Amino acid sequence: MSIAVIGIAEVPTIRDPDRTRWDILLDVCMEAVRDAGIDKDDVHAVISPNPMAQPAMANDMALGKVPEVLGMKGCRDIAIANAGGTSNTNCLRIAKSLIEGGQADFVLIPHTTVQSDIPSEDLINFFATAPLDKQWEYPYGVTFNGSMGLITNRYMHETGATAEQMAAVTVSLRAWGALDPNSIFYGKPVTLEDVLNSRIVSTPLHAKECNLLADGGGAMVVTSHEIAKNFEKAVYQLGHGTRFMSATPFMRKDLFHRKAYRESSTDALAQAGLSINDMDVRQIYGAYPYTQCSALEGYGVCDEGQGAALWAEGRCGPGGDLPCTTMGDATGRGHTGSGVSMAFYLETVRQLRGEADDRQVPNCEHALLTTSGGSVMNTCTTIFGRSPR
Amino acid sequence: MSDYLKPLPEIQPHSKAFWDATKEHKFLIQHCKDCDSNIFYPRRDCPECWSNNLDWIEAGGQGTVYSFSVTYEGVEEKFVADLPIILAWVDLPEGPRINTNIINCEPEDVSIDMPVEVVYVQATDDVVIPYFQPVKR
Ligand SMILES: [Zn+2]
Repeated sequence: MSIAVIGIAEVPTIRDPDRTRWDILLDVCMEAVRDAGIDKDDVHAVISPNPMAQPAMANDMALGKVPEVLGMKGCRDIAIANAGGTSNTNCLRIAKSLIEGGQADFVLIPHTTVQSDIPSEDLINFFATAPLDKQWEYPYGVTFNGSMGLITNRYMHETGATAEQMAAVTVSLRAWGALDPNSIFYGKPVTLEDVLNSRIVSTPLHAKECNLLADGGGAMVVTSHEIAKNFEKAVYQLGHGTRFMSATPFMRKDLFHRKAYRESSTDALAQAGLSINDMDVRQIYGAYPYTQCSALEGYGVCDEGQGAALWAEGRCGPGGDLPCTTMGDATGRGHTGSGVSMAFYLETVRQLRGEADDRQVPNCEHALLTTSGGSVMNTCTTIFGRSPR
Repeated sequence: MSDYLKPLPEIQPHSKAFWDATKEHKFLIQHCKDCDSNIFYPRRDCPECWSNNLDWIEAGGQGTVYSFSVTYEGVEEKFVADLPIILAWVDLPEGPRINTNIINCEPEDVSIDMPVEVVYVQATDDVVIPYFQPVKR
């Protein structure tokens, strides 16, 4: 028994403080329910990812405003999940347990984030202090970019990946984003030179290899496999595996998460009865380019240390034979806090429905999707398919 | 000394001995008397065996750079005067890997595997923060 996604909605990722959190939220909730083709009163639960750095909105969502404002008379309960970038993964897990426990047929999972009205000093502070240790990291000026720079530098040292190869990851991610009307970089691809000539933020990371904080939102409606069979556009969850590493990067033995990627995908693929070679697309939420490389190494798509070369050869970008991360990751789309993983789930559904337009992977039957939270504390790998097994 | 603008470490009851020792220019590592683990960062209980039978050993103050990242921008205002900041993870021969800054070093001179040594900086009257610097030949 598992769950299926039957409705999706998303607003474009932009920076516009005039588009409010509630406007985004209401729009995506209504559109996802309509896309599913159910009635608003059929929604039995609303499970929301915590909107990070937005405490007032988090309170509204945690304390039941969404079904009340939208008049969802059939709603039996609500919940909010906070695990940073894996918040949406936890929402799906809660939805699954409600559905399997007989408490819900249809669960709505909505996300909203507006960061453009938060002063940049406050955002830097939030993203520096939320995941970082306030005794052993923060006093030393560690930032999110700095933390990821430390990992990336070691990754390049151990694998011999060059600055050009690493920059090629961003070129491919931006190429996907350039094809996506929901990306802040829609119609704005970059060249290798653009990436390498952008300012150095934290070595070896250039500005274009870091994340632009933006506003966005999305929603999905999920139900059981059984019920989903009546919904033509349903996309089915076939397996799920997860591994935790550490909260603090310098404590991490599995620094590039290869073991966590491998073990979580092994579990997920075994449940699905599929192998990594059956995957038509790999959606990797890591938010920084090295994860796009080490994930392929962990999944066994290539040998250790060869991930960056695959990207540099253009094999993971548009038109490549190993399409990966077709929504561009945070680097190629804009970082919407806990919303990046929502966008990953939505894009995966579009690919499997055949609705990904210019980004469409041909004959997309099976997809692997991995999310990570905090400073890549975990890898949560899910297999989705166009049909139930 | 009171003009220190950067955030001070949030000292906890079980890390107080570490920060007391840095004032005497000593770098302590927590040690479990039951399972013999060297522990960093300090905790209330041993993360290996959950014993609270913990004491401290004094580190030699040497280390090697495991990784580094030179930060040029994207820090809060209170860190701007320090830019560029050389963030580093340093492996201590006693076992732990720690997070620190490399100071007294130009950004182009830092490298992975470089030997470094601890250096103490008085932040306020009450707090001394350990950093690392290249080993002087
Ligand atoms: Zn112990």
